[in-house]
Amino acid sequence: MNGRIPIILMSGYLGAGKTTLINHLLAADHGRRIAVLVNDFGAINIDAALISDQTENTISLTNGCVCCSITDDLGTVLDALTTREAPPDLVVLEASGVAEPARLACHAGNWPGFELDAIITLLDAETVQIRAGNKFVGQLVKSQIEAADLLILTKTDLVSHETRKELTGWLERRAPGVSVIMTEAGNVAPELIIGLPERTRSSQLIKEEPHEDCFSASHWTPPAPMRRDALINNLAQLPPSIHRVKGFFIDADTGKITLLQRVGLRLSFEDAPMNADVGFVMISAGSPQELERGVKILSNAIDSSRLHA
Amino acid sequence: MSEITVFTARKIRTMNPSMPEASAVAVRDGQIIEVGTLQTMKPWLEAHPHRIDESFADHVLMPGFIDPHLHPSLGAILLSCHFITAMEWKLPDRTCAPVRSPEAYLARLREIDEGIEDRAEPLITWGYHKIWHGAVDREAINAISSTRPIFVWQRSFHEIIANDAAIDWMGLDRGDLERHPQIDLTSGRFFETGLAVATKAMNLYLFQPERFKQGLELVKKAVHYGGHTTIGEMAYPLLDDLAEWNFLSEAIERDDVPFRMQIIPRGALRGAWDGAIDDELARVESYASRGSHRLIFGNGIKLFTDGGFFAELMQMQEPGFIDGHHGEWLMAPEMFEALARAFWNAGKRIHVHCTGDLGVELALDTLEKLQFERPRVNHRFTIEHFGVSTPEQVRRIADLGALVSANVYYVHELGEAYWQHSIGYERASQMARLGTLARHNVTTALHSDFTMAPALPLNSAWVAVNRIAESGAVIGPEERIDLDAAMRAITIDAAYVIGMEHEIGSIRAGKKADFTVLEADPWETPVENLKDIPIWGTVFEGQPFPIAK
Repeated sequence: MNGRIPIILMSGYLGAGKTTLINHLLAADHGRRIAVLVNDFGAINIDAALISDQTENTISLTNGCVCCSITDDLGTVLDALTTREAPPDLVVLEASGVAEPARLACHAGNWPGFELDAIITLLDAETVQIRAGNKFVGQLVKSQIEAADLLILTKTDLVSHETRKELTGWLERRAPGVSVIMTEAGNVAPELIIGLPERTRSSQLIKEEPHEDCFSASHWTPPAPMRRDALINNLAQLPPSIHRVKGFFIDADTGKITLLQRVGLRLSFEDAPMNADVGFVMISAGSPQELERGVKILSNAIDSSRLHA
Repeated sequence: MSEITVFTARKIRTMNPSMPEASAVAVRDGQIIEVGTLQTMKPWLEAHPHRIDESFADHVLMPGFIDPHLHPSLGAILLSCHFITAMEWKLPDRTCAPVRSPEAYLARLREIDEGIEDRAEPLITWGYHKIWHGAVDREAINAISSTRPIFVWQRSFHEIIANDAAIDWMGLDRGDLERHPQIDLTSGRFFETGLAVATKAMNLYLFQPERFKQGLELVKKAVHYGGHTTIGEMAYPLLDDLAEWNFLSEAIERDDVPFRMQIIPRGALRGAWDGAIDDELARVESYASRGSHRLIFGNGIKLFTDGGFFAELMQMQEPGFIDGHHGEWLMAPEMFEALARAFWNAGKRIHVHCTGDLGVELALDTLEKLQFERPRVNHRFTIEHFGVSTPEQVRRIADLGALVSANVYYVHELGEAYWQHSIGYERASQMARLGTLARHNVTTALHSDFTMAPALPLNSAWVAVNRIAESGAVIGPEERIDLDAAMRAITIDAAYVIGMEHEIGSIRAGKKADFTVLEADPWETPVENLKDIPIWGTVFEGQPFPIAK
């Protein structure tokens, strides 16, 4: 692995609920050291009991997370993170409401020492379609939808069932195959957004049970090496409710342990340390049955010639 | 009271239509007492001690030139770099002759390199333009120096080409550079978002306080050199209020500085567009008590709609850009509207950065709403830059009582480039449509947004009356304006745009004694040569300041 810090870009127009979600992410017990970079420090609202230190541009939390305001220059803020005593495991970057996410992702995701994990776009269920037709921001809202690896539809409790259904179809046409998470307030399970901690072992994992705030995860250990091309093919068939796949496997062609990461439709492979434990973790907002189906699909990518050899 | 000084001149072009020409102007304590002839001003001279100063007997006096929109801090950074440019750049400390071939470019770069003794000192040159200078790459710069970090900064600021020494000097992991989709290490090119990686290292060098201070001294000279006596800093602060205020007051509030600066605060600080509007209002109000003699906080504030014009990030109405890319909003449109409403209701003069026709549309839609909710007259809502617009928008500008401050230099530098590579001929040839503004009687100023254009008002006026593009061809002749309108746009109309027309911008009794002293009369000079009229210097509040030769 390359040691670069992954960045999740959180995009979305004004009022989409980015700040609510960020407040939720910062305070949640997810076991990861996240640095959240925000535009508007004033809107960050964290229980004082969780704050260990606060300066003009940084709030440090007792759980190891930190929230920094992006004052002028993103690069300067990112550089400052790498020189912290305990650099973050993950950066969540709040894009300004008017940012073209693809452009910002190219900037932040290629900054020395960092790499892009995913672009997540939040959409306000009540207003997104009106905005998409607005003469000033329509193009921008469409770009934000099209650039996303994951879409989060917020405030779904404020619209009717029919509207929800219609919206889902509309999004499917704009961003085919991209999974959509529905939320009422900002209560998305952090795991759906940021994945699971590095050190998670199968023993710690929930056994394909829906979690209380609506996510489930499953762990699967491939019994044999796998071929990349077969994996790529099979991953494309996963149900869209499976938002994240992360797995170490033995590449059947090179014999090397390889790390696969998939967020939404964004897929990457890289070399992993030889001592990494082989295994896949999948996270879904859907039913356990869908996860089971996911495992089945992945297991079809096993290089069976090796299995029987 | 002091003695009256009477300046006589070959001609005084007052820009006051009630008395357009004169031959003498009487000045006391920095103020104009009377304009006319020695004969007509006799009653004043007989009543008070005076002396006649005939040193401008062969010169033409105009009201001190005004550039209502430039950024001294940005200028300070660029002026400390080496210029190698396809266009001539006249600067106070150097005139950069046009360099227009790949061979000439590299020869000039070598010459600059050889002129710097310390072989490790970084060399940053600005002005490279592929159309003129060919494909300069890493190897070509390596051949000039293998030890000195050399950065070639493209004219429009959106690309940097570095040699190996410069790449090493950045101190970054090569792997990080190689994987970047907008960095090409083979050619040494850093572009778009890759540019920030190169400027990160360059900034450490460019922003050293001593270097910045020297740069600011050069900006002061450049302002004087252009013949200005008043400028507007149109978006304060650039980075940090207190540090900047200290730098600026130290540099500008001095007896030997021949100009004043109106400071127009940002209506919202960067990075805090979502901040509370009451806080922004309070911040702007808090500056007001701070002004000094040369640094003035007026009633204006600055807001932004769409992105930069040189960066091609202006927001365009259909049919958009040839390559299909999209511009950017610098502020969310709702935020823009909310801020504009708050400042409108507070009685402020609102200046709006608008570069594309969709940006202009947003500004006008908002102004129309505000006029409906709470009508104001004489509000001086001003469209700044005015890159691409439509004729119908100009009519609305007139109907809504708005003003324009245009960077007409776009036509010269970008007219043909944007025709070929960005938006096509029709719209590119009509950028900065001053002719339509004049036909609708919209009060219009010209500005440089220095360093987007040279801080030379006569040069801006030259573009406005000729619309001569980079190649020398005339582009969009229907949008030319006449000489009178162009000269108003750098004097009295520029004063009006920043709300200072009662003090400056023309030569009449009661105004500040600010003059630009010309070696020739613009009205007797062929308009193609307007930019070449030599400037002797200026008079600022009665005191002559020759330009050092």
